[in-house]
Amino acid sequence: MSARSFGSLFMVASCAGAALGCYLVSLRVASERASLEDVETRIVLAQRDMRMIQTEIGTRGRLSQLERWNAGAFSLSAPAANQFLEGSFQLAQMVAPQHQVDFQAPVVLAAAPAPEKPGPLEQASTDETGAPTAATPSGMLHQASLKTETREVPATTAITMSPTAATKSADKPVTAAKPAQHSSADKPGLAAAQLRPAKVAVAQKKTVDKPALGATKPMTKHVELAKNDPLLPLAAKHSGKAKDSPPAR
Amino acid sequence: MNAQQPALVAPRTERLRPAGQRLQILAVMHQRLMFGMLVYAGLIALIALRILYLAAFGDHAGRKEGLTSFVPDRGDILDRDGQPLATTIDAWSIAIHPTKVIGDKLALAQRLAQLMPERSAEQYFAMLRSGKSFFYLRRRAAPELVEAVNAIGEPGLAIEREPDRLYPQTTLAASVVGFTGIDGHGGAGIERAFDDYLSNPDTRGKPLVSSISSRVQQALEAELGDAMQHFSAIGAAGVVMDVHTGEILAMTSLPTYNPNAPGQGTPEQHFNRATLGVFELGSTFKPFTLAMAMDSGVVSGPGQMYNCPQTLPAYGHIVHDTHPFGRQCSVAEIMMESSNIGMAQMADKLGKDRQKAWLKKMGFLDRVEIELKERGRPLTPGARWGPFETMTIGFGQGIAVAPLQLAMGYATLFDGGIYHPPTILKVGPDRPLAPGRRVFSEDTSYRMRSLLRLVVMKGTGRKADAPGYRVGGKTGTAQKLINGRYSNTINITSFAGVFPMDDPRYVIVVMLDEPKATKETYGFTTAGWNVAPVVSRTVSRIAPMLGVAPNMHREPNMSEVLPFVQEAHKQDAKKD
Repeated sequence: MSARSFGSLFMVASCAGAALGCYLVSLRVASERASLEDVETRIVLAQRDMRMIQTEIGTRGRLSQLERWNAGAFSLSAPAANQFLEGSFQLAQMVAPQHQVDFQAPVVLAAAPAPEKPGPLEQASTDETGAPTAATPSGMLHQASLKTETREVPATTAITMSPTAATKSADKPVTAAKPAQHSSADKPGLAAAQLRPAKVAVAQKKTVDKPALGATKPMTKHVELAKNDPLLPLAAKHSGKAKDSPPAR
Repeated sequence: MNAQQPALVAPRTERLRPAGQRLQILAVMHQRLMFGMLVYAGLIALIALRILYLAAFGDHAGRKEGLTSFVPDRGDILDRDGQPLATTIDAWSIAIHPTKVIGDKLALAQRLAQLMPERSAEQYFAMLRSGKSFFYLRRRAAPELVEAVNAIGEPGLAIEREPDRLYPQTTLAASVVGFTGIDGHGGAGIERAFDDYLSNPDTRGKPLVSSISSRVQQALEAELGDAMQHFSAIGAAGVVMDVHTGEILAMTSLPTYNPNAPGQGTPEQHFNRATLGVFELGSTFKPFTLAMAMDSGVVSGPGQMYNCPQTLPAYGHIVHDTHPFGRQCSVAEIMMESSNIGMAQMADKLGKDRQKAWLKKMGFLDRVEIELKERGRPLTPGARWGPFETMTIGFGQGIAVAPLQLAMGYATLFDGGIYHPPTILKVGPDRPLAPGRRVFSEDTSYRMRSLLRLVVMKGTGRKADAPGYRVGGKTGTAQKLINGRYSNTINITSFAGVFPMDDPRYVIVVMLDEPKATKETYGFTTAGWNVAPVVSRTVSRIAPMLGVAPNMHREPNMSEVLPFVQEAHKQDAKKD
């Protein structure tokens, strides 16, 4: 009885509740929208401020003002046509070191074979790991013309080092490279014949670059120096490089 | 109680009505009541529904209308790189309502005179006692002044923000940009020509991008202003234009005014010499005559020879030269030394009708085609256009055009002969280039390159050369018409140049009105001495900005003209 009599009341209450819920949702939406509008308004105000500041900066730094400063205070002028460079190459050309000839240096004959340090690439190929790093026979042939003599000394070290080198670079054909080294070492006549022009070339170069150094070294000692001096201290230093440089060639 | 009472009120009539009628009245009353109730219920329902609708979809009370997007009160004008040339700011204005003033008027007048000394205390006091309701005291007031006026605390003082037009670059490109009047509408230049666009609420949110480049404009104005001051000229004008599109990159008219305070400018300053003023520009016209003659087949090429005597009597007049040849001379030499005698013969052969037709085609007989409203009408001999006038027009006397028109003519000549109307708006994706119309043949356009380069390399325009930028062009010195007679001492000098000449991209035209001789010019007032150096300096400054790389090894094909120049042969022989 009571439930039936209160039925309509419940109905009204649930309707009111549902309506209230709907209203709360719409209220929430409205408040979200309001806050969004606030943000938009703030953005617009910020835009206006930015515009004002930009206008002020632009007005204070107007071109006629800059021109006055350039002409009066800084004495700046437009660059002339020859101050423009065509690229980085032209820029690099301008800072290239000037080649200075030392007229006080003693005269050295161009024919004089100067015992000099071999270049970094040559050292790399003649290291104790020279055999394994010489990957291509063609590369070996090219190097052999320069370094037959010097290879005599490291040949022993190369043999002692070869197991470690072999273990280090297992994929490299050690056996294929070794015969190549032997073949070049077996021909001292060819090597000796090819050594001379190479050294002359080196001497020629060095007499221009470092005349004083070429003059201090006696000509007769060149073979000995070439054997020991350049290689032994450098062997340790360049052993790491030795693996990298032959592929680069 | 029962005594007869006077009939103070009207007797009730319904009692007299029969019962049926009463029922009917009752029914009507019920109907009316019901109707009234329904109306009320409807109204309440309507209000309730409206409230519900507003609660669900409506805006809240604190909403600020019109702030969701920023639209200035008048559209901005930008240069081609996006730098503002004209913008609208919120400025402070100070006004007074004399009738609302409650404090001591004398003290207030004294205080105002202290703060704003442009008027005296007596004037302020008279203003306060005038009984009028409103006065502006200061527009575009500085914030410090506004603060100080606010501190007076007088309710009769009104401090308000109002939109105000600001030209951040002040005098830069004033003749192009123009100014706005007190009503906020354009008074000149772009402001006037595009007033509708700039003030229309639909379009003003998007700035108007002009073709002007501020930096080029500044370089042109600075160099031209310098020359104008140095040679004590009464005026100057300059135009830099893109050959291929007709866009005006810089245009100036000196003396100029400050558009932030346009009222302070004199009529002379407000006069736009570049578009409104028409001048007889002299020898700068000669390349057109030559191009017409070449295109019409009158002149075969730069090697054609003409008889160039010391003076040329023609149609009852005598034509003179500043550097008379007194011998046979080639077309290349006529251009190089700017020979009137040679050019007059070419124009004579061309004839009046063909000359007129060409000038019409080039747009020299009509107002210059540009968006600005300040456009001058060219002056021609009109009905007096006879054979001698044809000759004088051939070398640039007897026809007066605006400097902008001259630039347009050069742009046409060096854009492969195609005419594009000059424009003040940037050509870009929003505004594609309109198709032009062919005026000269491409071959003529190509052959003119080396001829005009020759003028700068060896001829009258040597001082216009900017090393590395291959400037070609023509000087022009025209005698000024004073009281109906050509003056021998007062000139208008001009130079029309194109660079780089091996692939023409930009035209520059500069003009000086009545330059005076100086010690450095050895008493000369010809164009080669005063405007040519302006071109050299300006091109050296603007060419790198415009992307023209200097190159000392490039030139147009000079072998087309050099064999026909006798002087060059002699010099070469000496060198050898």
